[in-house]
Amino acid sequence: MTNDAQAPMLNARDDRSTAPTPPTPAAAWQPRATLRSGWTRLGRGPLRGVVLAAASLTIAFVVWQLLSTYVFNPFLIPPPVEVIRTAIPMLLSGEIAADVSISMVRVLVGFVSGSLAGVVLGVLLGRIRLLHDLLDPIIELLRYLSPTAMIPIAVIWFGIGEMSKYFLIFWGTFFIVLVNTTAGVWRAPIARQRAAECLGANALQIFVLVVIPSAVPYIVTGMRVAMASSFMSIIPAEILAADSGIGYLLQKSSLLLQTNRIFVALLTICILGFAVDRLFRFFVDRVLARYMSFIATT
Amino acid sequence: MLRVANLRKIYDATKQPYVALDGVDVEIVKGEFFCLLGPSGCGKSTLLNILAGFEPATSGAVTAGGLAVTGAGRERVMFFQDAGSALFPWLTVEENVRFGLRVRKIPRSEWDGIIDKYLRMVDLDRHRGKFPAQLSGGMRQRLQIARALAVEPEVLLMDEPFGALDALTRRRMHAVLLSIWERTGKTIVFVTHDIAEAILLADRIGMMSVGPHSTITKIFEIDHPRPRDLTDPKVARLFHEIEALLAPAVARSEAAVD
Repeated sequence: MTNDAQAPMLNARDDRSTAPTPPTPAAAWQPRATLRSGWTRLGRGPLRGVVLAAASLTIAFVVWQLLSTYVFNPFLIPPPVEVIRTAIPMLLSGEIAADVSISMVRVLVGFVSGSLAGVVLGVLLGRIRLLHDLLDPIIELLRYLSPTAMIPIAVIWFGIGEMSKYFLIFWGTFFIVLVNTTAGVWRAPIARQRAAECLGANALQIFVLVVIPSAVPYIVTGMRVAMASSFMSIIPAEILAADSGIGYLLQKSSLLLQTNRIFVALLTICILGFAVDRLFRFFVDRVLARYMSFIATT
Repeated sequence: MLRVANLRKIYDATKQPYVALDGVDVEIVKGEFFCLLGPSGCGKSTLLNILAGFEPATSGAVTAGGLAVTGAGRERVMFFQDAGSALFPWLTVEENVRFGLRVRKIPRSEWDGIIDKYLRMVDLDRHRGKFPAQLSGGMRQRLQIARALAVEPEVLLMDEPFGALDALTRRRMHAVLLSIWERTGKTIVFVTHDIAEAILLADRIGMMSVGPHSTITKIFEIDHPRPRDLTDPKVARLFHEIEALLAPAVARSEAAVD
C-alpha cells in the first residue's frame, strides 16, 4: 500500500445515495458529482444511478446467458439461470448462510483486531521518531508477505481451526492500516498544530484533539483497503486450510466438478464484498463525515 | 511589547550552516501595526516564527511584554496564510472558535458570549453551523481572525495572511482587519512581500534584506491617516521610495537562485 494510491480513493467518495445533506462537509463533494452528470448528458437525481446500475447488471446478465448457451460449453460456464436455480435450494437450506456467517466472523475478528493494532502502533510510529526509525525497516520488509504467503506457516502454527484464519486476516489488515495511519499522523498539517498551540493547547491536547482527527481520513482509507484485502485473502485461506466457509465451498465444489455451485460461491463473494463496503461507507458517512472533508488550499 | 535585540538565527543543515538572520534589532510598541516587508527568502517568516516561539533564536534576546520568549505564549497568537490547514476542518465555525476557550479553561458560562461577540465582529455569526470547507477563502480568514481574537491575545502575528486571496477579497480583508485593530487596540506584526499592502496597513514598515545574514535595514514610519489611497501623491512617493530600495534586493535574490 503506497501513499500515492490514497488520493484517488479519497476523491472517489461522491456516493450520492449515502451522502448526508448539508450542512455537513459532504457538500464539498457535490460539485464533482454534478460535473460527472454533465459529461454524460443524462438526467440527474438519485434515480439515475439506480437505473444505470440496473441496466448494467441486466446487460451483463443477458450477455452471460447468451454466451454460455450458444458460444461456450454450459458445463464450464453455467448460464445465470442455471446458477440461480442451483442457488435457491442452497439459500433455502441455509447452506450458504452458514458458510457466509463463518467466513464473515473470521473476516470481522481479523479485521477489527488488525485495525486496532494497526491504528495504535501507527499513531505511535507517526509521533515517535525513534520508534519509527527502528521499526520502519522491518515493516517495509514484512508488508510484502501477503496473507496468502503466510498460509502454510499459519497452518503449522495454528492448525486449520479458526485461529489460523484470524491470524491471516489480522496479518493482511494490520500492515495496511499501520502504514496509512503513520502517514496520516505524519502529515497532520504543522500550521494546524501550531495554531492549536497558540490557542493554548498543551502537547497532549494537540495530539488527541488535532493530530489524530487530522489523520482520520487516512485511517479510514486504510481500513477500506484492508477490508477489501480481507475478502481477498479469506478465500485462499479457506481453500487451503479450512473445513468450512465460502472458500471451502469453492474447493469442495471444484473437487466434485460442480461448476454451478462454484459460480454460486463466486457470486456470493461479489455480493458480500460489495455489501460490506457499502455498509462501511454508510457508517463512515453517518459517524465520521465531519472528519472526512478535505479543504483545498484557499 | 515585543523587543528583539541582536538576534541571530543559524540553521546548520547538512554541515553547511546557513545564517538566516543576523543582527536583527527592533522594538514593536503596544497597539502598533507593524509590517515586515521583504522579498521571498529574506527571513521574515523565520523572524515571525521566532516571535511566536515556534523556533528558538540561535543568539540574541527576544522578549514579549518584558518576558523572554521560550515557546508559544498565550498573549501571542499566530495567524496563517493557509486557512485550510490552520483551521480544524472537522469543527464548525462556532466549534473552531470554542476550541481555544475550551483548552484555555475559560469558564463555560462565558463561551456563548465570547463566541457571539467575535463571530459578529468578523460577520460570520450567520454561518456558525457551517464547516470550513463550506466557506469562501475570505470567510475562512475571517474565521481565523475570530478564533484568534476569542482567546484575547495582545499580539497578532500574521504570516502573509491574505496572500492567497483574490485582489477584491484582499481589499475587503484589509478593511476588516483595520477596523478590528482600531476597535481592539491589538498589537499586530504583519509579514508581507506586497509594498502596497504594507503601506495601506502599517504604522511602521520594517524592510528586510535578502538572506543570508538578513536583517531589518530600514524602518519607515507612516503617519498618513487611514484609509490610505495609493494614488495620493504623498503615499505614492513613499511607494516609489520603497520600491526603489527593494528592487536591487529582489534582483539579487533572483540572481542567487540562478
